[in-house]
Order: sequence, then structure tokens, then C-alpha cells
Amino acid sequence: MPPTSSFSRRRFLSSTGLLFLIASVPGARAAEHSGTLPWKPFAALPPEPLPGGRWYVLTPDEARTVEAIVDRLIPADELSIGGKDAGCASFIDRQLAGSYGSSDRLYMQGPFVAGLPTQGYQGAETPVARYRDGLAALNKHAQAQFSGKNFFDLAAAEQDQALKDFEAGKVDYKPAAGFFNLVLQNTMEGFFADPIYGGNKDMAGWKFIGFPGARYDYRDYITAHNKPFPLPPLSIAGRPEWKTGDKAGGN
Amino acid sequence: MKKAALIAGLAAATVFGAKGFASDLFDRIEAGRYQAVLADCSACHTRPGGKPFAGGLPLQTPFGALVPPNITPDPETGIGSWSYADFRNALKTGIGKGGKRLYPAMPYPAYATMKDTDIADLWAYFQKVEPVTNHVVSNQLPFPFSIRASMIGWNWLNFSPKEFQPDPAKSAAWNRGAYLVNGAGHCGTCHTPKSLTGADKSGEFLRGGSLQSWYAPNLTGDPHKGLGSWSTDDIVSYLKTGANRFDIASGPMAEAITQSTSKWDDADLQAVAAYLKDIKSDGTPAPQPLAATDPAMAAGKAIYLDRCSACHNSTGAGQASLFATLAKAPVINSTDPTSLIRVVLQGSQAVATTARPTTPAMPSFGWNLGDADVANVLTYVRNSWGNAAPPVTPGQVKDLRAALKR
Repeated sequence: MPPTSSFSRRRFLSSTGLLFLIASVPGARAAEHSGTLPWKPFAALPPEPLPGGRWYVLTPDEARTVEAIVDRLIPADELSIGGKDAGCASFIDRQLAGSYGSSDRLYMQGPFVAGLPTQGYQGAETPVARYRDGLAALNKHAQAQFSGKNFFDLAAAEQDQALKDFEAGKVDYKPAAGFFNLVLQNTMEGFFADPIYGGNKDMAGWKFIGFPGARYDYRDYITAHNKPFPLPPLSIAGRPEWKTGDKAGGN
Repeated sequence: MKKAALIAGLAAATVFGAKGFASDLFDRIEAGRYQAVLADCSACHTRPGGKPFAGGLPLQTPFGALVPPNITPDPETGIGSWSYADFRNALKTGIGKGGKRLYPAMPYPAYATMKDTDIADLWAYFQKVEPVTNHVVSNQLPFPFSIRASMIGWNWLNFSPKEFQPDPAKSAAWNRGAYLVNGAGHCGTCHTPKSLTGADKSGEFLRGGSLQSWYAPNLTGDPHKGLGSWSTDDIVSYLKTGANRFDIASGPMAEAITQSTSKWDDADLQAVAAYLKDIKSDGTPAPQPLAATDPAMAAGKAIYLDRCSACHNSTGAGQASLFATLAKAPVINSTDPTSLIRVVLQGSQAVATTARPTTPAMPSFGWNLGDADVANVLTYVRNSWGNAAPPVTPGQVKDLRAALKR
């Protein structure tokens, strides 16, 4: 039977030949191991948290503004401490100091096209630039609305009003709603991320929702239905019960 | 006609004779190769990835560094110019060619008990090893240890060469085991505690020794810190496959198993187990475990539940052939915690053998646990689930961490 399709034997051979050629290009970055699996003593890729006690990216005024915002987004109440005491602002500052703040690990060349809301931010600005710009705009809005006062000097209700204006986009600043959502998202991350990244102080966020933290073995409890999990939450850095409280034995 | 038959007969005899000799030599070389496996010569004399027996990595002794020499038959840099007598002397008296004194890092005190027939086989094998030109400067000890003649005094103090004498009151297997453990296997080189001069402490055979920042545990019948709770099958399985129902080998023993004991005949491993099971413990009773209310125990328990229990289980039971059992394990109950601290700090990869090629590995916790954390978690492990051993101090962890990072 003669071939009816245009996909001839000759074309098949030449195209698969090309595939072989591509597959056998030297320097293809595949590692081959034989015998025992490779292993090195002390091998680890630990997280490298920045030390606290200072601001890395935010200016002192910007930091005060962020602290005021996070305390309105997560106000202290009978359930938990507020966003400021939980360290959400320092979490945001340290994230901005890393690859997140500079979008180092994202494709940041054009073209920049407005995407769908589900696609997230599609613009050309880095988070650091968006914070700088957005915080300045928020302050300007506060000053315009509340007789020249900075945002962080406003009463709580006034701060809520300014934030609501931003959330609804009812200000003369086009990225206002996007900026509000950025800060809201980062504040929640700071409240619930591992404490080694600067937020979630003393695992307050995890205690609040009953999350056991960075654990990975529940075999002893998996059949204990309808009973609370007995162990306290656990950070990557450990938990207070690791320490004896004895200075000579602690570290 | 008669003459022709005679010539034909002679020719046949020559051929058969030569053939008989060749197969005899082949058997001897093969027997010698097995002796080299038993004695694990390559552990010291072969660099990882290097040519067989062409010289090894430096051994760090308490007295300084010694580099295992090239023992291939290369005439210039190996032992190609040695005679059988030189070779036999080196193994049985610690004196090499030309009267050169060996250091007992070469376990000649153990090899001295080997039978001449086994040493002759080993010699036959080493003459067939590929000669490699590799000049090794063995003696890198500082003065005064660098003076080889000082070994005359050492030998006088510590060495009385004596070939193995079987005990007629014991079984053939026991005697074979005793011959292997004391001789070619040189188990005591690591597992017997050492005196100040680095010799085996007399009367403390196989009661556990330290070397190169590892602790080689007690192999006597001690039920607490020795092999008392292991059956002969447990011992055989450990030596053959690197793992048994309790434990998985790591560190230098992992190497000894991969390169040596996993290749021993099963009958020889059974013999070793029979002999080891018959070595009496020193009779010291197990200590009392620390109270669970001790602050170090409470802190250690928290760390254990958070960092260890996922693999080793909250009851210390581990997981057969994957994660070592910690409850009632000899090495956990050893007085010297060096190996335990080391494994927690740097992690560990299990042995790879033909029977068990998987090499399950334990991650390093050195980055996550401070000195006191490591001390407390080990104190907890050493005093829970039937274990009882002296607490580990943060200072011990600090010192070993510094030594390992060097």
C-alpha cells in the first residue's frame, strides 16, 4: 500500500535523526552516578535569615507607616497580638531586602501587558519600588484628607478610612488597590511565616489558628480522633522547650 | 616404537605437570586474594578511587600522620624488590625489608598470629597485583615519633609475636572465628581500647576503642553496651549486608563492611559470630538512667520529638533496614558518645553492600542544633527506652564540632 499521508518514512528518519543530534549535544547538564549515592558530611541548605534589630530597605518613616498599616490589617485583640508586635513590618522589610524585593528570580523584561486579576501583578516595577511609591502616595492621601497629618499619626479610624480608600481605588493614585492588596498579602505572610523570617513572633500566628508548625511526623496521633494535638508549634529554629533555662547548659 | 611411546608419555607428563602447577598457583593466588579481603588491606593501602594497593590516604594517629605505603610489586616505589621472607617478616614481626621498622598502625601485632600458609598465599596474590609507580612518604610523624628505631622499645613493651594456637576445648567454628577476629580481621585494631603508647590495653580485648573521631563499640557479650542482645544471625547479617534488625553501619565500619566483611564466606562470618558471642563482658552492671525530670532530659525529649522521631520513632524503635533502632542499642549505651555526636552533627550515610545498595542517609543537624541541643538530645536518647549512659556535655559537642570542621 502506498503511503497516503505526507509524513513519509524519509521525513520521519530525518526528524528523529535531528532529535538524536539535539539529545547528544555534549555538555548537556545531566549528572550520572553509579555505585553509591553521593553524600557529603555536614551537607545542608539551611535558610539564612537576616539578623533583626535594624531596617534593611525601609526608611524610618516608611517603616513607621508599614507598622501602622499592619496593625490596622491585623489589630491586637483578645485572640492574638497585632501585626506590628508580631513583626510583620520587619518581615516585609527583610523580604524586600532579598530576591523578592528586587524580583531577581522573576522574568522582568517586557512586554508588560495588563493581565487578569488571577494572574497577579504584571507590571514592570519591583516590590521595593511599589512599596516606596505606594507608601508615599498613602501618606500624601492621608495629608490631603486629614489636615496635613502623616498616616502613622492618624487615629485608628482615620487610618482605616485611608486604607479603605486605597482598597477601593478611590484615590488619585492608579495602583492604589494593587498596592493595598500587596501589603495585605505580605502582612498575612509575615503573620504566618516561620518566625526565623522576622514575623510571627513567638509563633503567635500559629498558636492563634492551632497550626503545629514545621513538623512532619504525626504517626503517634493519627488515630487519636477528635483529640487536640498535644505538642506546641515548632519553628525551623526550634521552640522554647528545647532550652533548659540553665545558662550553663543553654546556648 | 617404544622410544616414541616414551617420548609421548614424557610430553604428556610435562603438560599435565605444568597444568597441575598452574592450577595450584591459581588456587593460591585466589586464596591470597581472599586473605587480602579478610585483612582488608585496601582499606588503608588504596586511596578512594585510586589504583589498588598503590598507597592510601594519611592515617591520623594520636602521634601524627602516617601514610600507608604502595604495596604493589613496583620495584622502585612498591614492594617489587622484596623477597617472601621480607614480606613474611613485615607481617609477622613488624620489620620490613632491610630491617626497617614498621609502625603498629600497620596491624602486624594482629597479622603475627596468621598462619604461614595464609601469608604465603597473600604473597602469591600480591605478586600478581598490577605494579603502580607511586612514591609514598609514609613516615610523617613529628620528632621523636619519626624515629623508627623507637619501635624496638614499643615492640619490647607491647608485642610478643605468637602464631594462633587453636583451643581444642572449643568448636572448629569458634577456633576459625578466633583466628579471623584476632588475625587477618584485626578487629581489635579499632575495637580494643588503647594504652598511652597506642597499644591494645591488655585484658580489655574488644571492649570498645576511639580512633579518628569515631568510637568503635564494645563487641563482647555485654548485654548493655556490647553484643549481648544480638544473635549470631544478627552479627552475620550486619557483617554481610551492613544492616540487621537493629542497626545500620556507618563511618569506618561501613567501609570495612563494603570492602571486606560483605565479601567473606558465610561460614567465616558464622565462625566470627560464634566466637564473638563467647567473649565475656567485663561484668560492670548497667548504670541507672537519668530521671526523666532532669532538665537536660526534658529539653532533649522536646528536640527528639521535633527532629528525630520522624525516622527513629517516638519509642526509639527505628525502622528495620532503614533507620537504626536507638532503644537498647549497644552503640547508644557506650560510655564514649563520640560516634553519636558525630552522626548528629554531620549526618551519616549507611553502608552500601550488594545485598543492600540503598544507602539510606541521615541528614546533618549541625546547622540547626547548638552544642547544648546536641548534648541534651543525646542525653535523652542515652537514657530512655531502656538505655542508660552518662549524659553528653555541651563541651564534648563543641570540641568534636571544632575537630570535624578542621
